[in-house]
Amino acid sequence: MNSWKEQLGSRVPEQLAAEVDLFEGQIELKKEGKLDDKIFAETRLRRGVYGQRYDNGMRDDGTGQKPLEFPRNLTKGPDTVWDAPGMMRIKIPFGKMSADQLEVLSELAEENSDSILHVTTRQDIQLHFIHIEDAPDMMRRLAAVGITTREACGNSVRNVTACEYAGVCSTQAFDVAPYAHACTQYFLGHPDVQDFGRKFKIAFSGCEDKPCGLVTFHDLGAVAQVRDGKRGFRVVVGGGLGAVPVQAKVLAEFCPEEELLPLSQAVARVFARLGEKQSRARARIKFLVQKLGIDEFKRLVAEEREGLREDPRWTDFLSDLHVTDETPVRDPGALPEGGSAGFQDWARHNLRPQAQEGYYTAIIKMPLGDFTSSQGRALAAIARKYTGDAIRCTVEQNLAFRWVSGVDAFAFYEELDALGMAESGAGTIRDMTSCPGTDTCKLGISASRGLTGELRNRLNVIKDDLHPAVESLRIKASGCFNSCGQHHAADIGFTGVSRQVGGRRVPHFNVVLGGQWTENAKSYGLVVGAVPSKNIPKAVDMITKHYLDNREGEESFQAFIARVGKKDFRALLKPIQKPPAYEEDPSYYSDWGDPREYTIGDIGIGECAGEIVPFVEFGLQEAEQQLHDAQDALENGKAQVAATGGFTAMVTAAKALVRHLDVQVKDDAADVVENFKTHLHDTELFHDPFAKGKFATYLLKMHADRSYENADDEIAHRTLDESQLFIEAAHACYQRLTQAAAVAAE
Amino acid sequence: MQPTKFQVKLYTSSGDVSLEALIPVFHEWIREKKIADELLIDVADYAHVPQGPGVVLIGHQSDYYLDMANDRPGLLYSRKRGFDGTFEDGLKDAFRRALGASQLLEAEPSLDLSFDTSEVLFRVQDRLSAPNSEATFEAYQGPLTEVANGFFGASASLERVEDAREPFSVRIQTGQSGSVADALARA
Repeated sequence: MNSWKEQLGSRVPEQLAAEVDLFEGQIELKKEGKLDDKIFAETRLRRGVYGQRYDNGMRDDGTGQKPLEFPRNLTKGPDTVWDAPGMMRIKIPFGKMSADQLEVLSELAEENSDSILHVTTRQDIQLHFIHIEDAPDMMRRLAAVGITTREACGNSVRNVTACEYAGVCSTQAFDVAPYAHACTQYFLGHPDVQDFGRKFKIAFSGCEDKPCGLVTFHDLGAVAQVRDGKRGFRVVVGGGLGAVPVQAKVLAEFCPEEELLPLSQAVARVFARLGEKQSRARARIKFLVQKLGIDEFKRLVAEEREGLREDPRWTDFLSDLHVTDETPVRDPGALPEGGSAGFQDWARHNLRPQAQEGYYTAIIKMPLGDFTSSQGRALAAIARKYTGDAIRCTVEQNLAFRWVSGVDAFAFYEELDALGMAESGAGTIRDMTSCPGTDTCKLGISASRGLTGELRNRLNVIKDDLHPAVESLRIKASGCFNSCGQHHAADIGFTGVSRQVGGRRVPHFNVVLGGQWTENAKSYGLVVGAVPSKNIPKAVDMITKHYLDNREGEESFQAFIARVGKKDFRALLKPIQKPPAYEEDPSYYSDWGDPREYTIGDIGIGECAGEIVPFVEFGLQEAEQQLHDAQDALENGKAQVAATGGFTAMVTAAKALVRHLDVQVKDDAADVVENFKTHLHDTELFHDPFAKGKFATYLLKMHADRSYENADDEIAHRTLDESQLFIEAAHACYQRLTQAAAVAAE
Repeated sequence: MQPTKFQVKLYTSSGDVSLEALIPVFHEWIREKKIADELLIDVADYAHVPQGPGVVLIGHQSDYYLDMANDRPGLLYSRKRGFDGTFEDGLKDAFRRALGASQLLEAEPSLDLSFDTSEVLFRVQDRLSAPNSEATFEAYQGPLTEVANGFFGASASLERVEDAREPFSVRIQTGQSGSVADALARA
């Protein structure tokens, strides 16, 4: 056989085969220069073929930006070099995967990637370092086992997620998997989801109180409910993490199961029709819901629903709700008594009894979400032997194997152990979540994987000494404000930022405390302050010790945070917030797992910058202090004071930057904002390379609509989030201005 | 279609391998363009994955792993694309690059690494052109033996790894345990 197309033949479903052929044709057209960059970029994104760090053909090798001299002068999108490695995101709807699928994914990883499969926080599998010309055959091989990458990226409905315990959980209202499956099938390629301004994420949860599907931070979420013996869902809309986390609002307290798809379709149509299209920064549905208000949004959805043309698929799926059922391959049985100490430890954390007596769901911990092709093949064999096609990717970047008979648990564990995959501690502080960060993501600011890898190593060493109250905490890290690591919902969260110290950049993480993972991620944390990356392990030690030393009785971490306030933690962390001078300890000036100097090499360092603090830095520091005070006010129930303080902090940061440009500015907000607009916004100096004018808009809009003047808790919270991001952007802008000045001086 | 995705693994002979120490070395290779005729792009750290690919130097034409699979560390050369030449030349080139990278690692004072040439793992990461079958083995046996004998100067014996789910893989007992430098000198 000469090609995979020929080899696979009719094993690739006709429609998917046609889609892949079309994509392959578009690749050829692009190579011939017959397709526009932007159009091709969106085309490949909608097929899961994503960009990756350094794909603009430039890379800082630690001594400065250097070109990567790829062989061909071709592009696959604006500023995206054709031959540069990219990432393929592969949708695994509600995480459900068969042994055959796992084997094919493993083959693709070793033939086209670097032999690593990465589980994402949205139950996808990602392969990195892919060449775009390999993508069509990869898609064919995936399609032959029932997987599509269509709409894994791009402005459409992304992977539909659901709790990995759906169907085997003892607290669920009912199994949500067949509904997630129906939703996936219905919206895949649906014309009503092709014209969004941004992506759209849907999640299902089987119950209210457990983390399950984490519906509250999704664009659309459905929580299973039974009323008067009838199945339905509490439907929420407009949630999201990203730069400004927002809790979803209730769209319908009870949506009967037959109304789930038409209601979702009506939401999609309203979003497509009224959602922002020009500014990506405000194009998620959460902004539309905020703008319209949930009541008006509900009215529009109801109106849209009335006008929908009847579609038999709305209810056809209800006649076969067993479509996602799994058939165990072994008889049920009790867990063995005894076993090795390793097994006991593993079983305590990683085995959870199912609703079906004698069966357990085993969580296989994937360090940083990674496993190898060889391990993938071995896991497929284990699945065939013990559980059948009952594998689920989890939102905590692990794999769940359902239907492990208690009788087999020890043998199952031993087979995992032989693969090096029997690490205990699932769902504990040692089971961290992290986005790819600076390892491969174009947007990464700090090395979130490097950090969590370091924390993992340290915590694994002391695992037997961890206090249960600390062991049960969750740590999540994101490499930037886009929050793919879901840090807002962690007890202890980290988000990557950078700071300028003595003329050099220092990688930092903002410490976010008090997020709530349970009850479908009921509340989000607030930023306590930025700490140099290399001091984060110390920060974790200090935070957990402070908690243990000062908690009252069995007080939970969240209750403790709520009682003592974040101000207490800010004081605690203050001694480790300032990095030593470069000359004293240069290790602070590189990130975890990456020896390159974090600062760009061509920044001037010889002008006594380390000894003289420019005025702008005082201004930014003052803004941070104002923000911290505002956060304290919010904690103390003073929403109005908090919102005003958040706005003031933004004005202070803006003023510092305007003055840095030698522009005379008065102290009043109107003059600052006007000058900021003229000299930093309109000139695009404040623009983030990726978010563009998004952060500047926070200040301009807030000044124009004065939303902070009549703030309730929600508005105050949002104001503080936006203020935090604006100040981060101000730091970044200052760094860019400094670099530009250094370059100009050479 | 002529397969190009050859992999050659040379196992280390020294005991401990510090993946952490390897990371700055690979970054330096990029900076210093240590493999002059290849575009080297980035370093991927998988030290956290048990029996994983260790640390990978990602390139455009090829990747170089300090691979920890089966708890047997070794330098794994992996060609990804684009070899202009005959099939036999392609095989020889893959061995030469694996040996060349091993020699470079041996010369790194921070690593204290040495490689054993008595056993080599050869794979083809291309199930379409080279399925893991007896027929593929028959097609490769002659050229592979010739290349191995050419580099290692002895009479090599080849054994196919017969699990059909694995990529086409051959264990080569080279029949001698000379140095990497000796093998390269024979090339």
